Amino acid sequence: MAVTEVRLTLQPAALAPVAIAEIIKEKFPTQVIEVVEFRDQASVIVKKDQIVAILRFLHDDPILSLNHLQDLTAVDYLKKKEIRFEVVYNLYSIRYRHQIRIRAQVPENDPKIDSVVSIWSGADWHERECFDMFGIHFSGHPDLRRILMPEDWEGFPLRKDYPLKGPEFDKDWPGFTDVVKRSKELREFEWEG
Amino acid sequence: MAVGASHYDFDRFGIIFRGSPRQADCVIVAGTVTKKMAPVVRRVYDQIPEPRYVVAMGSCACTGGVFKTYSTVQGCDSFLPVDVYVPGCPPRPETLLEGMMMLQEKIRKEQARWSPWR
Repeated sequence: MAVTEVRLTLQPAALAPVAIAEIIKEKFPTQVIEVVEFRDQASVIVKKDQIVAILRFLHDDPILSLNHLQDLTAVDYLKKKEIRFEVVYNLYSIRYRHQIRIRAQVPENDPKIDSVVSIWSGADWHERECFDMFGIHFSGHPDLRRILMPEDWEGFPLRKDYPLKGPEFDKDWPGFTDVVKRSKELREFEWEG
Repeated sequence: MAVGASHYDFDRFGIIFRGSPRQADCVIVAGTVTKKMAPVVRRVYDQIPEPRYVVAMGSCACTGGVFKTYSTVQGCDSFLPVDVYVPGCPPRPETLLEGMMMLQEKIRKEQARWSPWR
């Protein structure tokens, strides 16, 4: 009997995702737009203005303690939703082993959201990738450059209106067209056995 | 990897992996080449002393494979003079071995003289 009690105090019970969503709703009633539940996973759709305050609360609160940022990415809802982008934060609590998904709406005409590098320094490269692929600007980021594509690349490849095959060849990335041009010039010096 | 290891063993054909392009005779392009990577691959090729040969290994290096996208080079022959194309996704070790043996065959048939004594 005594052993069971000790175990209970050592391993605190995890909260259900819906319960976490309720706590967020109580704490930020003006910011939460909607709570979506699907297959025992809950996502809280919020406004982007107070995103750092919301995530700071989730990170620091002793009952929630969502101290691990599993993933940070974005979704493009072109022609599917009125507000085009959503930045997605998957949060996990290493102590309590519960998780929640936060989705912040970002409009197309002003794709800006505050950076969360001050809470999780690991968000640095995630936000850079997000900027690289979707063109969402993270204000307050220490070093917002492209991470995967070349630095002088034009366009944001994961946006739904970006053509999969990319731009036409003559409008292609100059770094690549230069290599092709140079290799054609050098071809006459190749040694044919 | 398997071709270099003891089961298939490149060494018995006199093919030995080198750590530097300056000591190499041949480069195997083993995998997808992205547009960002293309200048780097070309620079590695340019560092190989002549005579030099290129083997494109796998569908991605040969043609771009299933990735007909904004970031993928549609075959590394767009910027390298490829001698042997090894198909497969990924190629069997035997396929790569045969590709290298075909390259040796090609070198054996060469008529041109590289220098007065060769």
